[in-house]
Amino acid sequence: MPTLTIDGREITVEPGTTVIRAAEMLGIHIPRYCWHPGLSIAGNCRICQVEVVKPKLRFPCTVSCNLVASDGMEILTDSEAARKARADVMEFLLLNHPLDCPICDQAGECLLQEYSYAVGRDKSRFDEEKVHKSKRVRFSEEIVYDGERCILCTRCVRFMKEVAGEEQLAVVERGDHAEIAVAYGRELTSPYSMNIVDLCPVGALTSADFRFKSRVWFLTNVPSTCTSCARGCSITVGARWEKIQRLTPRENPDVNRWWMCDHGRLNWKYVHAPDRLGKALVKDAGRLAPADTDEAVRRAHQLVNRFVTKRGADGLFGLVSARLTNEEIFLAREYLAGVAGVKNLDVRPRTGEGDDFLITADKNPNSLGASLIGIAPEEGAVGLEGFAEAVKAGRIRGAVFFGEDVDHDPEALAALDSLEFLVVMDYHLTETARKADVVLPGVTWAEKEGTITNVDGWVSRLNRAIRPPGEARPDLSLLGGLLAAARPEEEGLDRPEAVFEALGKAVPAFAGIRYADLYSRSGRVAVKAAAAAD
Amino acid sequence: MSITERRILLHGIDREDSAAIDTYLADGGYRALEKALKEMQPSEVVAEVAKARIRGRGGAGFEAGRKWGFLPKQNEKPVYLTCNGDESEPGTFKDRHIMERRPHLLLEGCLITCYAIGARTGYIYVRGEFPHAQAALEKAIEEARERGYLGGDILGTGVSIDLFVHTGAGAYVCGEETGMLSSIEGNRGNPRLKPPFPAVEGLFRCPTIVNNVETLSNVPFVIREGAEEFLKLGTEDTPGTRIFCVSGHVERPGAYEFECGVNLKDVIEYAGGVWKGRKLKAVIPGGLSAHVLLPDEIDVACDFGSLARAGTIMGSCGVMVLDETVCMVRALQNALEFFSHESCGQCTPCREGTDWARKVVTRIEAGKGTEADVDKLYEIADNYEGMGGKTICALADAAAWPVKSYVTKFREEFLMHVRQGRCPLGG
Repeated sequence: MPTLTIDGREITVEPGTTVIRAAEMLGIHIPRYCWHPGLSIAGNCRICQVEVVKPKLRFPCTVSCNLVASDGMEILTDSEAARKARADVMEFLLLNHPLDCPICDQAGECLLQEYSYAVGRDKSRFDEEKVHKSKRVRFSEEIVYDGERCILCTRCVRFMKEVAGEEQLAVVERGDHAEIAVAYGRELTSPYSMNIVDLCPVGALTSADFRFKSRVWFLTNVPSTCTSCARGCSITVGARWEKIQRLTPRENPDVNRWWMCDHGRLNWKYVHAPDRLGKALVKDAGRLAPADTDEAVRRAHQLVNRFVTKRGADGLFGLVSARLTNEEIFLAREYLAGVAGVKNLDVRPRTGEGDDFLITADKNPNSLGASLIGIAPEEGAVGLEGFAEAVKAGRIRGAVFFGEDVDHDPEALAALDSLEFLVVMDYHLTETARKADVVLPGVTWAEKEGTITNVDGWVSRLNRAIRPPGEARPDLSLLGGLLAAARPEEEGLDRPEAVFEALGKAVPAFAGIRYADLYSRSGRVAVKAAAAAD
Repeated sequence: MSITERRILLHGIDREDSAAIDTYLADGGYRALEKALKEMQPSEVVAEVAKARIRGRGGAGFEAGRKWGFLPKQNEKPVYLTCNGDESEPGTFKDRHIMERRPHLLLEGCLITCYAIGARTGYIYVRGEFPHAQAALEKAIEEARERGYLGGDILGTGVSIDLFVHTGAGAYVCGEETGMLSSIEGNRGNPRLKPPFPAVEGLFRCPTIVNNVETLSNVPFVIREGAEEFLKLGTEDTPGTRIFCVSGHVERPGAYEFECGVNLKDVIEYAGGVWKGRKLKAVIPGGLSAHVLLPDEIDVACDFGSLARAGTIMGSCGVMVLDETVCMVRALQNALEFFSHESCGQCTPCREGTDWARKVVTRIEAGKGTEADVDKLYEIADNYEGMGGKTICALADAAAWPVKSYVTKFREEFLMHVRQGRCPLGG
């Protein structure tokens, strides 16, 4: 294994390691535009030049992205020669750049700004007319291209070819008239196309959805997990004014690397939909009327308790959403199976199209969690499939839906009318909820904390990015309230960390994972639950 | 001193039927191929060519035999030969003469080389603007195939080699060896990052040898006559002959083949000297990218080493003669119009720098520059020059050397444009 020195510090690396990566291991950040750890090496921007003291090359500096570390190599990243090389590249990059930062979405997270400040000169020597190129080109519904801001690093072109597997972008023209364009005869239709917006180190590629919405420095960035399918890509929620402004992928080597799909990225509008529940509802004289949340929780427990006392748990059906967190599902099971003794437990499956990259056919984000925790009908018990039939047959007479609805199934929906009672917890007023006796106002993934278990068993954190509307409460708090009502003598359990700890004790698959380890802004945020279960 | 041509490569090109296979065979053509295939092991061919030290005629001067030696010893992939006939360096028109007038010489060189390096397939990449060369090569390939010199089981030896003509679309940068490989693969002709070098990972990611047309055309002589005979030609530094493409302000521009080491002054004289009785102003000795020489600098031997010591390059041997009426600022503007237009646009310094330099020199030429612009022009070129470090390929260097040498050697002329606010030569 070669040992080299970078800025006087020695490091031994795997054979084949490039200098830019070796420097990273030492915590030395070498500026880069075209280089990205998830893409092939293009070596075209030339900003990552370093001085090579040993071995002697024909020129003092060369690009560190394509320089393989060798034994005895000596590199200087901040010598006079290296600084001049970068300052020269910076000058070249800005010659024809429009310098329109005040109206550019990338401002604040732009590598041109950052490196210009770090390694550039403060004055331009360019007295000529700038090259004019295409502006506001719609690459697709979602992506807008500005040719004048583009530095032709080709990250986007390489992403489409190498990661998305669809060569839908290309470089056209030559020299300083070169631009990126949708490849001749093709369309930018990849379900992963919006990753090029994040990859673009400058403001050339912008998201039509996020464009001009907010300066990025006003965003509160919260690490979280996408809930649009069972992949559970790590994301950053950018929020402002208690509203989501954008979702971007967050690096996670175990789950999604640097990427996410366009659907997941844009699938947050419902969080701010007008049908959100801001208050508990309790049926009064046949009509749902707003109620105090604590009162509604007590009322819900009363309905369950009376029913079970009178008829036993066999006539009760519990539907627990696989979109809830592990903690919520655990408390839901504690309440339904543990307290009430319900055996008719199920989730509502959601499937759609998947692919061989990130998008899974399972559209529930926490199916594995739900199954590990044990949300499934016991042998001979009623599941969701037989629910409507069982209601008709009089076998099921009461139901509790946690975070779930049966709006997709007209028969099940109709069957709800025949129930003696129905308790629903949800974040919006579904058709199902309209038929309930008590509706508990839960929240969406963006407004709560907890964990979900992805299709491969990686457990990732949700974190609260925005405040829930009105009096809505994190579902865990509502479930904790139900449990407290059932077991007033026991200490309440509604903090995510405490519930996760209890989950680890009750379900072996989760044992050994520390909740605190899961929160991280970078690096590995997931711990393999499935492996722990083995 | 009067000199004489030594036509080995251009042998018989004045004959109308110089391209025909019968003409070539009558002159001993394809005997070297037969000798190599029947009497020599591939390694012996490599050794003989290495011994002859044929320096790369594309312009870089790298020895062909040594390059062949870079092929990986352990290799399971196919090996390719790619012959570079893109010939796009302005002022260069030697390869086209070989391809149009002596296509079989090139084919024989390619075939022997394929045999030596173990290639089953070779591509001859012909510049897009050379339709005659393309047609001549296509025809020659057919002729050679009919006579059993090309294709399956050549001359009954069991050796099979196919050659294909692939045409470019007119980009200068496709003459860069890896740009050419990208182009043959059907991609945009962008030069590739090195390492890996083509000998290790070239065409279709397989080991590939890239040689210039003129370089490969020397191979038949070396095999037929032996390296010793080849080494008797030219100089110790650069054995063999070279085709000098003399153009510009001379009485008889044309392609002349001399032994290397010939004096540049004599080459210009041989081409009839400066035309119209005018005075010599400058000579660009090795294609447009070469550093310019002043009249008192041209008493120099033409081989790679001597011209390098004279501060320029032998390059592609495109000798451009400029007489006293030429405005060097306008000449530089012209050069930069070419190079900036031909930059592929990958590397920041070349993409941005060459066009910036063009804009500055255009302003100076128009009489709108300042004295500071003249210095800036030099600095811009200095900042984008430096292949390996600053750019992927040598195009930026090619665009830097004219700037630096013109501005240095004709500084006063640049400053005159600034001071007079116009071209002092009335151009």
